[in-house]
Amino acid sequence: MATEAVPQPRPARRSRHVRVPLNVSGILFLLGLAAVWQLAMSTGLLTSSFLPEPWEIGKSIGDLTGSGELTSNLWHTVYVTLVGWALAGLIGVAFGLAIGLYSKVWRYSMASTEFLRALPGIAFVPVAVLLYGFSVKMELIVVTYVSIWPVLVNTVHGVRQVTVLHDDVARMLRMSRLERIRRFTIPTTAPYVAVGLQVSLSLSLALALVAEMVGNPTGVGQALIVAQNTFHPEEMFAYVIVIGFVGVLLNWAFVKMIERGFPGTLSLDGEQR
Amino acid sequence: MEEKVTVAAPGAKAADSAIFACLGLGIEFDTPNGPHRVLDAVDLSVAPGEFVSIVGQSGTGKSTLLRILGGLERPAAGSSVRHRGQEVTEPPEGVLMVFQDYRGSLLPWRTVEKNVMLGIEKSTSGAERKERCQEALELVGLADRANDHPWRLSGGMQQRVQIARSLAMRPEVLLMDEPFGALDAMTKEQLQDELLSVHAATGATIVFVTHDIEEAIYLSDRVLVLAGAPARVTEELTIELPRPRDQMRTKELPDYLRLRQTAYTALRGSGAGGH
Repeated sequence: MATEAVPQPRPARRSRHVRVPLNVSGILFLLGLAAVWQLAMSTGLLTSSFLPEPWEIGKSIGDLTGSGELTSNLWHTVYVTLVGWALAGLIGVAFGLAIGLYSKVWRYSMASTEFLRALPGIAFVPVAVLLYGFSVKMELIVVTYVSIWPVLVNTVHGVRQVTVLHDDVARMLRMSRLERIRRFTIPTTAPYVAVGLQVSLSLSLALALVAEMVGNPTGVGQALIVAQNTFHPEEMFAYVIVIGFVGVLLNWAFVKMIERGFPGTLSLDGEQR
Repeated sequence: MEEKVTVAAPGAKAADSAIFACLGLGIEFDTPNGPHRVLDAVDLSVAPGEFVSIVGQSGTGKSTLLRILGGLERPAAGSSVRHRGQEVTEPPEGVLMVFQDYRGSLLPWRTVEKNVMLGIEKSTSGAERKERCQEALELVGLADRANDHPWRLSGGMQQRVQIARSLAMRPEVLLMDEPFGALDAMTKEQLQDELLSVHAATGATIVFVTHDIEEAIYLSDRVLVLAGAPARVTEELTIELPRPRDQMRTKELPDYLRLRQTAYTALRGSGAGGH
């Protein structure tokens, strides 16, 4: 089934679109904080054997990159995050559509859906480790399982946004059920799916780290634990900062992708004014 | 006043030649206090090419009646609703409905043109589709807004888009559910006149629901007053005002004033309050 070309580009909106300039003051503020931190430690105002000085963290990032350790750990974590997220997206949308479209599926599955999604995903990690051992498969299962829910719940919600009036219009225009889904349901649901996917993306990254800390000893999660156990706070902070940037970058890339491919999708309320 | 008036529709010779023929039409809805009968023993017929308006106070079941004609609602058992002699069980061939909520019935993610295409995408190929859209948009005076999105248009224009969407499907019958109810007086008059020219140009049969008596008389060949609880047709007015009609001149004609008075009296006498 070819999907409808979801939200069409809006020339008017695009011409009004202002390029967001780099937030210089925000970045300066962050650098200022780092400077204060550095100053407090250099002057002995702040002392701790486990809190590194900012320049040490910077140096550690350089060292870890140089040795290739950071790159390979990062690659592993990002790989698990993206693959797990993509799987969650596919499963979430498929089941979300089924539940939203067919009242029978809804009736039988909603109770378990509500229970499973309320269950904190992290509680599932030890179970997954026991079932699947220390493997990438285990990591993917943990990430996917947790990330399915925001997509699924948002998809179901999106499908239910198709109004009674739209149903009447579709009947009046003599649309088949398939045509109705294609022309009304999918475009209506798309913005909700996008929001669900966005939430799931940051969840995927978090769960990939957790799975690596508790289960499969690889990637950034494991590197953090090793740095902690060997008393290398500067390495820990280096990884924390790098993974933080990766999180921001992934979200930025996702938003860009959606804006490019499906303009207007991420602004749920922006349709009518 | 209360007894049923049955006047044969002009031009309705045999039942089968009528676009719509309803006999003993009723409908009830389930409520927490048991079934609530909205319409009872409604008889009406609509001839080909005719412009018929149904007026009544809000809540009388005008829209419900229209939805039954459009096959969107099933009447109570024992009702007979026929379209060209065929019992209506689903939207009948060539019958299209224009809804009051124009904003809600257009797809905000589609341009005006793509909204107009919505009903003919399956049945037509590229060039023909484009041509029919253009034709429909010209009929409602929106040919130059084809590439805009509906949210950039005024309410009146959005309703025109919805009308154009029906016209693109070359309908035989238009069912219009208070289409101009949400528009300001000036825009309303403008759209009324456009609708009259569409009627003249296409020859489509139009069944028009409104609570505005003057609108009904100005547009129609025949006005049915729906009143009572459950509601039935309590008055039927044949409008023989000359066409083409004109907002100023037609509304000054003695016949127009007389019809207006009759209709008002029919509505007033029919129940709580008046217009």
